[in-house]
Amino acid sequence: MAAAERGASRPTGDNRTSRRHRPPPLTLSAHFRLRGANDCFRGQSARTWCEVEAGWGGERESPEQPDRRPEAGGRRPAGGMGEFKVHRVRFFNYVPVGIRCVAYNHQSNRLAVSRVDSSIEIYNLAANSFQEKFFPGYESRSTEALCWAKGQRLFSAGLSGDVIEYDLEQLSVKYSVDGFGGPIWSMAADPSGSYLAIGCEDGSVKLFQVTPDKIQLERTLERQKGRVLSLSWHPSGTHIAAGSIDYVAVLDVQSGSTAQKMLMDKRHPGSQRRRCVVWGVAFLSDGTVVSTDSAGMVQFWDSETGTLVQTHPLASSDVLSIAVAEKEDSMVVGTAEGTIFHFQLIHSRSDGKQSQWVRTKPFQHHTHDVRSVAHSPTALISGGVDTHLVIRPLMEKVEVKSYDAALRKVTFPHRRLISCAKKMQLLLFQFPQRLELWRLGATDAAGKNEDILPLSRNAEHLLQLKKKGPENICCSCISPCGSWIAYSTASRFYLYRMNYENNSVSIKRVSKVPKFLNSALQILFSADSTKLFVASNQGSLHVVQLSEGTLKHLHTFHPQSGTLEAMPLLAVSPDGNWLAAAGMSNGVSIYDLKHLKPHGTVPAYNFPVTALAIAPDTNNLVIAHADQQIFEFSIPQKQYTDWSRKVQKHGLHYLWLERDTPITHITFHPKRPTHILLHDTYMFCIIDKSMPLPDDKTPLFNQLSLREASENVRRRHAHAFKISKKFQPLLFMDLLDEGTLVAVERPLEDIIAQLPPPIKRKKFGT
Amino acid sequence: MEPNGVSQRQSTPSHFRATGPEVGRKMVNLRPRRRRCALSSGTVLGRGDEEEDSEEDVSEEEEPDLEFPDGGPAADGEGMDEDEEEDEEEEEDDEAPEEVTFASAQAEAKEDERRLRDALRRDKELLKEKRKRREELFTEQKKRKLLPASLLEELTSATQTKINESLPRLETGNMESEKKGKKEAKTFPIRIKKRYVACRLKDQDLIDLRQQAAKGFIQKYLYGRGSNRTTVNKFLSLDNKRLPVKKPAVQFVNSNWGTERKQGAKKFKKQWMHKKKLASRRPNIT
Repeated sequence: MAAAERGASRPTGDNRTSRRHRPPPLTLSAHFRLRGANDCFRGQSARTWCEVEAGWGGERESPEQPDRRPEAGGRRPAGGMGEFKVHRVRFFNYVPVGIRCVAYNHQSNRLAVSRVDSSIEIYNLAANSFQEKFFPGYESRSTEALCWAKGQRLFSAGLSGDVIEYDLEQLSVKYSVDGFGGPIWSMAADPSGSYLAIGCEDGSVKLFQVTPDKIQLERTLERQKGRVLSLSWHPSGTHIAAGSIDYVAVLDVQSGSTAQKMLMDKRHPGSQRRRCVVWGVAFLSDGTVVSTDSAGMVQFWDSETGTLVQTHPLASSDVLSIAVAEKEDSMVVGTAEGTIFHFQLIHSRSDGKQSQWVRTKPFQHHTHDVRSVAHSPTALISGGVDTHLVIRPLMEKVEVKSYDAALRKVTFPHRRLISCAKKMQLLLFQFPQRLELWRLGATDAAGKNEDILPLSRNAEHLLQLKKKGPENICCSCISPCGSWIAYSTASRFYLYRMNYENNSVSIKRVSKVPKFLNSALQILFSADSTKLFVASNQGSLHVVQLSEGTLKHLHTFHPQSGTLEAMPLLAVSPDGNWLAAAGMSNGVSIYDLKHLKPHGTVPAYNFPVTALAIAPDTNNLVIAHADQQIFEFSIPQKQYTDWSRKVQKHGLHYLWLERDTPITHITFHPKRPTHILLHDTYMFCIIDKSMPLPDDKTPLFNQLSLREASENVRRRHAHAFKISKKFQPLLFMDLLDEGTLVAVERPLEDIIAQLPPPIKRKKFGT
Repeated sequence: MEPNGVSQRQSTPSHFRATGPEVGRKMVNLRPRRRRCALSSGTVLGRGDEEEDSEEDVSEEEEPDLEFPDGGPAADGEGMDEDEEEDEEEEEDDEAPEEVTFASAQAEAKEDERRLRDALRRDKELLKEKRKRREELFTEQKKRKLLPASLLEELTSATQTKINESLPRLETGNMESEKKGKKEAKTFPIRIKKRYVACRLKDQDLIDLRQQAAKGFIQKYLYGRGSNRTTVNKFLSLDNKRLPVKKPAVQFVNSNWGTERKQGAKKFKKQWMHKKKLASRRPNIT
């Protein structure tokens, strides 16, 4: 176990620790001065902060390169070939929404997460916890419970009183059924998955039968006095434990009557006259009911006799959630203080029959309330108000020290929320409720490497576009020329025409949108902004010609094999001839836009695609997968390129494979065809295909050390992966022109500052 | 004359200032008349020219009053008049009482009486006008209401029939409820295809209320009294205290602090600017 524990802080820790304490960049002092100065006169200015930085320490060109490509030499910026001016953007005021429910599916090894705004995300734990599906939120629908039933069907219920089933193929809401019991607080599927029990505000527990295409009300069990806040089925499916205010009731499913009622102790310490709310219950197969309540207790009850067996006072605040492993040998509870506790069933040594639940390990990965926990066979999963999803592997369950044995913390969505109009230097930020359009600042000054340049023109907030209706925005895009903005909700598609005159912006909605464009999963404009590509949730791709006043529908590509799987990722080639679309399981399909016909597919791969891009001139399709593999596929030749084969043969560096966030964006340098620019949340990388690949013995992150090294050393140690970790957490990075990058960062502190208040804790020494 | 002058002076400002009673006056028709009488007794005995001014003012004020029942913009303008008036009176106070012949006084009195009658007539007319307008407004409102009401009636009757249909089924037992579920299944796809959902507003209100109550419950238990919460700033400073590298506070100023005082300052600034404006205008008038 010790070895396994050590696994958590193995070299990957480099990636992980850096997230908590930002590595001290060389510009630390300057950077701080600027921020402090701004704060003095602008108050909370950390959010509206843009700076342009000259030079970028991550990469330094080796001297032989200009000789190799003399045609680029004449035009290169004065600072040297590998240097970029970086727009460091921090005014994307994005705050992830708090997590409300977490539900783990054993069959598919997937995790469903619902957030406070009722949006739902599905993570594939087998594919490095990649967030592969996303359902946008709905205003009045607040999710309180989430569960899987009948294999892999996902249901949610909430305070609006409806039970909703989601279509996981088409990424839409299948139907919603009224529970007729007021707001729904809890929902649980029976062990076989064919019944759903919901606990309602009016104190009733209702049983729904799950039929192949619908659910229907079967009956209502005996009504309780208070709202039913938590539910749990006995593994045999004969009894249900229902937690309410001040008591836990055990209901007989057959007769529908209350079999046992267990009253909570009302004399709990601290606040007077506060009632004891049972936030969570778990029914074990030996008849033990475990309850967690607002008094900070975890209590074990005998459901036969209704007696209290064991009490664990955990915290002075609420214990909000509980989850039990399938084997019933361990369980996890989450508290409002942000701590999760691990309970294990320990056999006493004298005879193997006696066993006892023992509190074993506390984990403090959250700063705010843990609203929901789940227990996978190998990990504890928790999520809460602080918006992090934490997957903590249990070291005793992990046999091989592999990538899955590392602690995983998911904070930012694995989708792109930002799009960029390169020529106009505009950024479009997508929030769940609105879009924001910003113009980047500009500078006249030039500086040395790592200087911070003064802005001659500040970044400008041009436009805020609020969504209409109760549905949240699911995708958005701005055209490369900046004159079109499109966004979509779950049922409507909106297209706007922008007009920029001197200093004013005018916006006009294009009202005559073709009828079939009623919703989109992904929107993309062609490089010359004359075509619009829309991926709908039926799996088809619409191609629309854009012109000043009218839209012309050119073609619709239907999914080939009759599957209806949605295609959430799109890429178009800069010359406008090729379109690539990736679904979650079907691989990447390529379409010929000139002749409007399918061109072929890239051979399927086990892991979902996280980013796609087509290189200019060569039309090579670069694909990044959730297991951090990178492929390059030549579209005209319909085969993998030599470089891609070389990479596969050689293998990627182990540190590269152990990064824990997926690559979310790939772009190319117009003047250097050998470069691929890509980034994830914690690093930005330029892959130089002309350089040798690193093997496991060479250090991967050697850019900073190479800068100080001598020419010879540099030549010997330079390799294809040039990585910069200067910008963290990085939500978006793109190349504006040859020498300018834009990086959108979102510091975690700014997010924490906007979260609801945490529980007060006394810490020694403060 | 002096006490009359005083009473006059008091009566006009009180009329100008209090917009509250004025609104009330619209409701009770008798009040203005009585007040007008009191005015007249003052004016008969002297000081006609000023009275005329104020009378004019009153009639002028009547008009905007109809437009702005809350007396927002009107109230500002009134303040100015009051100030000017005070100035004039101060000048007059310095002079000795002038001698008046009986004939001229009589003529003046007659003139005043005539003016008073005119004023009363005008008042009546105004009131008539006001009533007329209100009547029109009412009819218009009724008309405006009429259309949705009819629609609503249609809707409610439709749902009533639906409920009536479904009621006997519900009574017959559980078997029937399954049928109902099937029925819902049939109706739902249609609803989803369309971009609207038909629902009874009454039910929706109830649902919203219950949802609000439920949200309130969770808010109360997690963030209410006795939940022992701290503020984000304190929480972050706690972290900062333990860090080896001390950083500046994340939030220097909370914009929520001192809202009352800020509002007070805003109000004061407005008043001050107003005063300044008056002061700058006064030399132009005199």
